[in-house]
Amino acid sequence: VSTPEDSTDPTERDYVVLTRMLSDAEQLCRTDDPFMLGQYRHLHGRVAALVDMMRPANSAGIVP
Amino acid sequence: MSSPAHDTQRSAQPFAPSARIAQFLSLSRPQLEALQLAKLGRQLTRLCGSSAYYRTRLEQARIDPQAIRSLGDFFAAFPTSTKADFLADQNAYPPFGERLGIPRDEVALVNMTGGTSGQGQEIYGRSQRDIHTQGYLHALPWFLAGLRPGDVAFNCVPAGGLTTGGWGPGEGLRIAGATAFHVGGTLSTDAKIDLMLRVGEVNFIYASTNYLHRLTDALLRRGLEPKRAFPRMRTLFIAAEGYPVEWAGRIADLWGCVLQEGYGSTQCAGFGASTFDDGAVRSDGARGLMHLFEWETLFEVLDPATMQPVRSGETGELVVTNLSIEGSPVIRFRTGDSVRFIASRDTGSGRPVHAIECGTIGRFDDMMKIRGNNVWPSAVDAAVFAHREIAEYVGQVFTDGQGKTECEVRVALTEQAASTLAPDCAQLLGAVQNAIKERTNVLMKVVLVPRNELPEFTYKARRWTDQRQQGYRL
Repeated sequence: VSTPEDSTDPTERDYVVLTRMLSDAEQLCRTDDPFMLGQYRHLHGRVAALVDMMRPANSAGIVP
Repeated sequence: MSSPAHDTQRSAQPFAPSARIAQFLSLSRPQLEALQLAKLGRQLTRLCGSSAYYRTRLEQARIDPQAIRSLGDFFAAFPTSTKADFLADQNAYPPFGERLGIPRDEVALVNMTGGTSGQGQEIYGRSQRDIHTQGYLHALPWFLAGLRPGDVAFNCVPAGGLTTGGWGPGEGLRIAGATAFHVGGTLSTDAKIDLMLRVGEVNFIYASTNYLHRLTDALLRRGLEPKRAFPRMRTLFIAAEGYPVEWAGRIADLWGCVLQEGYGSTQCAGFGASTFDDGAVRSDGARGLMHLFEWETLFEVLDPATMQPVRSGETGELVVTNLSIEGSPVIRFRTGDSVRFIASRDTGSGRPVHAIECGTIGRFDDMMKIRGNNVWPSAVDAAVFAHREIAEYVGQVFTDGQGKTECEVRVALTEQAASTLAPDCAQLLGAVQNAIKERTNVLMKVVLVPRNELPEFTYKARRWTDQRQQGYRL
């Protein structure tokens, strides 16, 4: 079965990985531990920025 | 600064604990030492493969990193390192030396010690992972002292540059989730106060001992009582310099919150110990304790003459081993810092970690911490006596009437120079001042005095006096 991670387009492949990481980071941010919360939010922010940076141009309605 | 709903959520449990930190603190002493041993084995295994400096030391000690049976075996066999060892390594293999534990192209941050010993500055390469660890080792004591995500924090220590103290606090406040104002070195004291008043809700201040004194003094001079001006202040956190215990009590009274203290260094990659939320002064007025973060850093307190561990209650030299840092880790590094050691069983806290006494960290050499700079008198000697017209000098560091640290260097001319130069020697004094600044990063006032006003040093010259604590009056 072919998945987006098998894509030959490295940008698309990275975007898929980062999107999954963002979902994981969002889950971590639901922690009850206030010491880890700041660190998870930090992680989430970094991943979110990378997701945005790697978002395929056509998904934003921009034709490359 | 934030919505009322968010405020309510945050203030409901300002000291809500961390389950992760609680896990470490619930360990028994043997369990904690087992964790240290496991981390040490991992660290040494890594360094055996990545650092020629430490591989040589492991071979000398005949230690197989994967087969260390106890911390005692490691302490008995593994040689200590000193600043001189690191500098020799750096000179032989510039810039980082063979102790660097990662490929050079993975160094993402460079830190140097603020040293002006005349020997040189140690250089540390930090990986991306280390940068987070450094942040963690700043956020940890602040969290323990009450800092929580969303809090407003004022960092009064100058940010950036080449030091750990310039970068660690920024990363620490960021990963703590605080809203940080990095005002150190960028705003005058009055401008900082103006900004704090505009912000209103300030929950946390990080400053050197001297700067907290200066800030408090400046507030009082403006007729502002700190606890009324900043009623949401939860934590004052100081580091770097000693202080009279009465001053700490007065600060707590004026601000209406507990004063907390941390011990940190470049070698610790941040803080290695803090008062948690116990306060720098105990309820009976005695000095508090800083508990060591022993799950991240291995500490020994040794008699520098015998290199044997001191007993609880005694003073010795702190020796440090990083268990998590990978970039330029220190393994059994002799800090030169003199600390009073309190074994975990004597702390009365129930925590498994050992502690050191607040407010009494000293040096086994004559280094002085001045405005965040490590200043060795030998560096000033070199700057002053590079001018052959100078016969002798004495230096004084003190707290002025505005609460600011000042240094005065009183110089006397040689007989020959006195006959040709005095009293018109402004150019010479300016040159001496510049030379001192260049070597120490501290601007010192240089004044001319007659030769007979200065002592004759017939044995070891003790040219410096530190009178800062006498100036801590509020």
